Amino acid sequence: MRIIKIGLPILMIAVSLVFLISSFQIPKATLGSANGPLYFPIGISALMLILSVIYLVNELRNIHEKEEKLTDVFSKRAIQLIVVTIILGIIYALTFETLGFLISTILFLGVLLFYLNGWRKWLVNVIVTVSFSFITWYGFSQLLGVSLP
Amino acid sequence: MEGFVEGLMTAIQPINIIWIVIGGFLGTVVGMLPGLGPATAVAVLIPVTFGMDPTSAIILMAAIYYGAMYGGSRSSILLNTPGDGSAIAATFDGYPMAKKGQAGQAMAISAVASFIGGILATFGFVALAKPLASFALQFGPSEYFLLMLLTLSAIVSLSTGKMIKGFIAMCLGLLLSTIGIDPQTGVHRFTLGMPHLAEGIDFLIVIIGIYAVGEVFYNFLTIYKEKKKQKENQDMGKTWFTKEQWKRSKWPILRSAPLGFIVGVLPGAGGTIASMISYSTEKQLSKKPEEFGKGAVEGLAAPESANNSASVGAMIPLLTMGIPGSGTTAVMLGALIMLGVRPGPMLFENDPVMVWGLINSMFIGNIALVIINVLLVGLLVKVLHTPAKVLYPLIIMLAFIGTYTLSYSTVDFYLLLLFGLIGLVMKVLDFPIAPLVLALIVGTDMEQNFRMALTSSNGSLSIFFSSGISVILMILTVLSLCYPLILKLIKNRKRKEDQTISG
Repeated sequence: MRIIKIGLPILMIAVSLVFLISSFQIPKATLGSANGPLYFPIGISALMLILSVIYLVNELRNIHEKEEKLTDVFSKRAIQLIVVTIILGIIYALTFETLGFLISTILFLGVLLFYLNGWRKWLVNVIVTVSFSFITWYGFSQLLGVSLP
Repeated sequence: MEGFVEGLMTAIQPINIIWIVIGGFLGTVVGMLPGLGPATAVAVLIPVTFGMDPTSAIILMAAIYYGAMYGGSRSSILLNTPGDGSAIAATFDGYPMAKKGQAGQAMAISAVASFIGGILATFGFVALAKPLASFALQFGPSEYFLLMLLTLSAIVSLSTGKMIKGFIAMCLGLLLSTIGIDPQTGVHRFTLGMPHLAEGIDFLIVIIGIYAVGEVFYNFLTIYKEKKKQKENQDMGKTWFTKEQWKRSKWPILRSAPLGFIVGVLPGAGGTIASMISYSTEKQLSKKPEEFGKGAVEGLAAPESANNSASVGAMIPLLTMGIPGSGTTAVMLGALIMLGVRPGPMLFENDPVMVWGLINSMFIGNIALVIINVLLVGLLVKVLHTPAKVLYPLIIMLAFIGTYTLSYSTVDFYLLLLFGLIGLVMKVLDFPIAPLVLALIVGTDMEQNFRMALTSSNGSLSIFFSSGISVILMILTVLSLCYPLILKLIKNRKRKEDQTISG
């Protein structure tokens, strides 16, 4: 838990530093004011850096306080579920254009539903997957004129 | 007046009435899902408006918005799980009423209170929108910049107790908004040489990622924990409230509507604050404050009226100045921009039919929703019992498809997942989300106005003090930043006084 409590502010500091440093590397403008595009990103990333440092100090001060929400996250099944969803999302992104909308959506939705809802309710899962994939496909590509692969 | 009649004609076109009913129904359904609120409803359903005529699209989105507000109170009353901040106050007395077997009455009074709040606020809109739009015509770049600054600082400081986190979220949003080609000079910023980033990160992807995917992820955390709840009280009771209940609620509803409306118009405030203020006001005014929290009917009716009128009030700064006051209206602004509508003072001149059509559609929408909510109580309650495990995958799938329709590129799927994850982390660690979304949407405009103001004054910062409006905006911004400190001071002093009294 501590790793997250301190890790996040440190990550924020890193992010603002990256933005700050790369702000200075923004090429000079050839149109209008040469430094025009610089001011805003530099100002904001500097502000964010200061705030992240304050955030880190605050977290360090009350490091011993328990945070229930954090222990929630560490329930193994919940993390597994989120990771599985993300992996499925990536697979979905990879197959969306090659397999086409209908097949990839049926796969994505079906696997996610079976994983989440369990095998025992297979009939519901199959009906929901097929009908919703088809309805969205019909709705978007036929009624709304969106071209889907 | 001409515009009003024309707008009415537009709103009562059969196709638009169908959209109002569909939007209101869909919004109600999504809003009823525990943990999901209006912002999610609008974000997930944005793609449905693609290819629609802009007037119908905004009518549909507004219907989704207030439909979700109606729906949110359903899950507050029946399950004690508000879909978003503005439905929290409905749990205080709505859930106790349901436990007493008055669920039907509670839902009826909340629907009627929302209806009255919405209708009264629509009158307020008619009265206030035009003058405010002409007032906004006097705004130059420096005033716009300061107004956006005020909105951002107000929304951060109103999320009391997490100011630092709020400002970090705001900075992140502003930085994200600078990614891409700078519109003034054509310089590439933070694009990492990737052509996909040159156009910037589409804020709709961020919105869908955070509000749809992120919210579902967040609900995943608790999805296995829901052990079989003890049988909820299935007895709905009567489906209509009694005369006695109406007598107790009448004045609170009428008082809360203007209150909510004014809070809604203010930058940074919104339904949440409106409903909280109206709840505590009614508690103070009540002759029986001890009944509040134990199922007092006016404790449900007042905040329901206030949050609905706030949602109408929030449309005013959105449409007249292009400045959203809350997360949900920021989502709507994003959708409008995507449709090619540029809200601002000129909208009333250039497109009166759309504005007045929207306003009239709110009248019709509120009537439609009250009918939907009263007649379909049984059906809607069934939706609540649909297992979440089936609904969440569907919402994720809709989020993916919505993202695809934005750019026809699956690269955005990865961004969607990334922002879903960011949204999850923010929720878990108690970062307010609205400042990030708001900053991302107004960020580009804010920077451009800032630079235009500086160019016009040859780089002197004095331009930001040059007009009366600027100075007032500046003072308000400083005040909004000090507001949490002042609150703290007052609380401390009170505590000291209490101590001296008891000591």
